[in-house]
Amino acid sequence: MGDIPILQLNGLTKSFDDFTALHPMDLKVRDGEFLAIVGPSGCGKTTLIRLLVGMEDPSGGSIWLRGERIDEIPANKRPTCMVFQSLALFPHRSVGQNIEFPLKLRKTPPAARKERALELLALLRLPEEYYHKRIDQCSGGERQRVALARALAFDPEILFFDEPLSALDYRLRKTLEKELRDLHQRTGKTFVYITHSLEEAMVMSDRIAIMRAGRFEQIAPAAEIYARPTSSFVAEFMGEVNLFDLRDGSGDLLLTGAGNEFATRPGTLMIRPESLRILGPDENAEISMSAQVSAEYMLGSRMQYALSLPSGKAITAELLRENADGPKPGDSLRLGCAASACHLIPEG
Amino acid sequence: MKPSRLSHILLVLYGLLILALLYLPLVSVGFASVSKARYLSFPIRRYSTDWYGKALESDTVRELLILSLKVAGLVTVISMVLGFFGALAFARYQWRFRKLYQKLILLPIFFPQTVLGLALLMWFNAIGIVPSWKTAVVAHLVWIAPIATLIIAIRAYSFDPALEEAARDMGASTGEILREVTIPLLMPGVISAGLFAFLLSWGNFPLSLFTTGADSTLPEWLYAKMVSGYSPLVPTVGMLSVAASALLLACALTIPWILRRVRS
Repeated sequence: MGDIPILQLNGLTKSFDDFTALHPMDLKVRDGEFLAIVGPSGCGKTTLIRLLVGMEDPSGGSIWLRGERIDEIPANKRPTCMVFQSLALFPHRSVGQNIEFPLKLRKTPPAARKERALELLALLRLPEEYYHKRIDQCSGGERQRVALARALAFDPEILFFDEPLSALDYRLRKTLEKELRDLHQRTGKTFVYITHSLEEAMVMSDRIAIMRAGRFEQIAPAAEIYARPTSSFVAEFMGEVNLFDLRDGSGDLLLTGAGNEFATRPGTLMIRPESLRILGPDENAEISMSAQVSAEYMLGSRMQYALSLPSGKAITAELLRENADGPKPGDSLRLGCAASACHLIPEG
Repeated sequence: MKPSRLSHILLVLYGLLILALLYLPLVSVGFASVSKARYLSFPIRRYSTDWYGKALESDTVRELLILSLKVAGLVTVISMVLGFFGALAFARYQWRFRKLYQKLILLPIFFPQTVLGLALLMWFNAIGIVPSWKTAVVAHLVWIAPIATLIIAIRAYSFDPALEEAARDMGASTGEILREVTIPLLMPGVISAGLFAFLLSWGNFPLSLFTTGADSTLPEWLYAKMVSGYSPLVPTVGMLSVAASALLLACALTIPWILRRVRS
């Protein structure tokens, strides 16, 4: 790709007194991309987004928007806009006045403002009557849509989101995630979305950037991060996983054929619970282990088993619930998987 | 649990007793103001509203009212402005001496007003200012502006700092944020602070006594007349003053209600 990224960070850092919130960060965001930045609380993702919109000044490095440096431009002069965690809708103004706020600041004539506000209400599937409603008459989901409409009225180059869905109940959140994905496709805008929920990030985004302690751990599409994490932190962050440290030898694992390759390249071996299957008495696999079932959990279409290996290490396996007589707690069995279904994390 | 019939009756009686204790003295002043006699005595033998007519015609009373209104009006406006910015510093912005400021601003409220008045008088003398109603405005402000600040700060605490950030993010300048977001949101607090400021200044005696110099406010005049030279004008003017306060309060309570009716 020869074209200039819409957003680029070069060695961006932020320190507060003696605490370094962000270590030098580099990032390129493509025009029209939906990028999710995910990390546990305290990882610095909120600090990062506040730097990007201009509410904090960086301690070092630079931010570029379409090849122009913006980190020295104040927040109110930047062509970006953010949907806040609290939404920050003005309680003293109607829905219509909220949406028109950025246009009013630009001295757009009232008639044109209203026309645009009504267009945006339609885009976000809110009835026209909502134009005159007060904010406190709107439900949580409707407020989300009003906040989005207001941000779109600003017509930003990049739309930032600071966990706006975190306060909603599960079902509404699921609906709005899909709507947001859909809105992204219809508007063609660049979205940068901060969240602590990986599930949310996977549903919506084109790429995910995983953050930990002020650094990006991995930036890649969700499928890539899931299958080939670059660190055990990412692997564990991406859901249930079994990790085997191969530096002290193969331990509980019996490696044969292609599996032997892992023994020669020590690192951390990742096996997802759904990659494991139960081996019959005469069956063999490239990677196999014997285990004892300690508990079973019903997951709907699948069953999850907690197992313990001879060394005492606890692992997790997930099997489809097809066969009625699956293993029961106390059973001893052998588990196996193909080497191609595993991933070696080449870290120290 | 639903209260029994007896306890319900007792509760009502208790409430009425409290109200009577609070308001009966005021009622007695009301009666005194419609007595025809030249001296304060109960029971009242002959009723008359003559003194109300005389009070309204009297130049002294008119001057008193104008002076008290001037003082209270100025104190109200200045404390609303000081209170607004003071409350932002108190509740909204993080700055180095905020904790100290929050404590210092409370001090004048807890200071005995007579001591505060005396201290201010000595101070005015020391720097060579002749006390008049203008120095009384300053004295009232020392006590009332912190109260106004606290009232507005309560409002300022309840508002989401992200609102101002969002306005800035959407392109608003500092002036536009103040005009479009901060002032409209704090307005209810500013208005109630103004109301309190007016009533506290209007009825204030100890600070005025020390700091008005040759001028006299209503409460001072009432006191002076009670001490020497009682005339039935005293309860009459007192009642007029109470009526003015009550009228202001009634306006403050009904105007928002009317506005809400008109809007919807």
